[in-house]
Amino acid sequence: MSAVLALEGLNTFYGKSHILHGVSLRVEEGELVALLGRNGAGKTTTLRSIMSLTPPRTGRVTLHGRDITRAPPYRIARAGVGYVPEGRRIFGHMSVHENLQVPPAVSGPWNIGAVYELFPRLHERRHSKGGRLSGGEQEMLAIARALLLNPKLLILDEPSQGLAPVIVQEVMRAIARMKREGLSVLLVEQNARLALQLADKAYVLSDGEVVHQGPAAVLRADTARMEALAGVSHLG
Amino acid sequence: MEALLIYSAFNGLITGIFYALMALGLSLILGLNGVINFAHGTFMALGAYLAFTIEPYVGFWASLVCAPLLAVVLGLLVERWLIRPLYGRDPLFSLLLTFGLAMIMEDLIRTIWGSVGQPFALPAYLNTPLSGSLFFLTGYRLVVILITALITGGLFAALRYTRIGIRIRAGNADLETISAMGVNIYVLRAANFGIGIFLAGLAGILAAGQLGLSPSMGSSLIMPSFVAIIVGGVGSLMGSVLGGLIIGIASGLTAALYPVAQEVVIYAIMAVVLVIRPRGLLGQEGLLE
Ligand SMILES: Nc1ncnc2c1ncn2[C@@H]1O[C@H](COP(=O)(O)OP(=O)(O)O)[C@@H](O)[C@H]1O
Ligand SMILES: [Mg+2]
Repeated sequence: MSAVLALEGLNTFYGKSHILHGVSLRVEEGELVALLGRNGAGKTTTLRSIMSLTPPRTGRVTLHGRDITRAPPYRIARAGVGYVPEGRRIFGHMSVHENLQVPPAVSGPWNIGAVYELFPRLHERRHSKGGRLSGGEQEMLAIARALLLNPKLLILDEPSQGLAPVIVQEVMRAIARMKREGLSVLLVEQNARLALQLADKAYVLSDGEVVHQGPAAVLRADTARMEALAGVSHLG
Repeated sequence: MEALLIYSAFNGLITGIFYALMALGLSLILGLNGVINFAHGTFMALGAYLAFTIEPYVGFWASLVCAPLLAVVLGLLVERWLIRPLYGRDPLFSLLLTFGLAMIMEDLIRTIWGSVGQPFALPAYLNTPLSGSLFFLTGYRLVVILITALITGGLFAALRYTRIGIRIRAGNADLETISAMGVNIYVLRAANFGIGIFLAGLAGILAAGQLGLSPSMGSSLIMPSFVAIIVGGVGSLMGSVLGGLIIGIASGLTAALYPVAQEVVIYAIMAVVLVIRPRGLLGQEGLLE
């Protein structure tokens, strides 16, 4: 049985600096996988390698068994990967509604009407410029934009970054709902405690290497270990 | 005196329209393709010469559409085989490439059509002044104004309301993100380049009807078009149009009042704008602002 997403031995470079050292990881059907690690560990680079925005020099990325390594990013997106980038990357000078018209319409349950239903706040603000939205609204817009591709896999890069706690809870609820609806999710977070609440499985990266992998419950229970691995400072 | 000023301003407006169309295409290509297209002027000349060649067969009105489309075909080949390999590299590469291409194309035009300037025959009914008091307003000039208004308005509407237009604007701001959102940026950049070349070809024909044909017509119009972009604000399409019209009218008026400064005045305007408002009149983050 092939995983929704499998990374095998990725080595990724920025110019001459070797960032990812043989990263392997799997996301199975319907699973929510957390990818944790300190700032600079290589989480964003892993996602950029998957999307081919910074293509890995060696290693393989497969989606449902199909090799997508170094394919053009638009093909990877259309093959069913919804990407919510770090910092959200909203088109700030365009309205919410225009932002939602950027991705090609892919047939499936998610269309502009459906994402407005999921995030009524976006519907209310559909004529506002993306740059005028609050951080939470921008995050919702970034998720909505990714859903329009009707992805099989959603990958999110630090969706909680810079958001007020109430808003973080709202965003997390939306992610949990995506999982319930059958989407597989790869969730990058610096806030390990938050990610582990939702995750089935967790990987921890450090200096571009996977230093821990296992059921999320293990790290959830063993906060000292989580602290040591992922350097989480905000344990409750 | 008053009549002379109106006449000169109007002449300037017509020239400004040519600058504006050129600047609009240059801006589009600079924005999404990240290329300073020095060959834009020769694509303009090419459009004019192609129209000159096909007009006897298809007539003036059809040549107005077909000739720019033929220039677009060549433009798409250039984009695919010469420019595309340079995307993502230092912009200097594509600048040098288009610079060289401009010289090659201009020489090709000389080889094919001869180096002497030629008149561009317009239908007679377009060449007669519309009235005695408005002697400078010929049917042709009215056509130039109307077509430009139509094309520019259509382009702005398409950028605002169509998906491809929305993607062009989004891609101007963040090309990487639109590609990660599933947009085929290779096709989008090619289409955008094609639109830019169409505008150049159209400008070429409209200008030829007014100024006649010469192999170097493009190189003489391209510098003012760059000035138009800087005056209007790099990154703003509205700015490019406005900048083109302003420097056209300014140079038209100067031609009447102080003829020796006719060429210099546009650079003087650019210098003043750069000092007072370095981002240009409408230079902002969005393409349509
Ligand atoms: N564009 C870049 N050029 C060079 N080095 C980079 C670039 N982006 C990130 N890095 C380096 O790669 C390493 C991993 O970064 P990143 O993947 O962003 O980490 P994380 O997302 O886990 O915080 C860091 O050491 C960072 O400095
Ligand atoms: Mg990161």
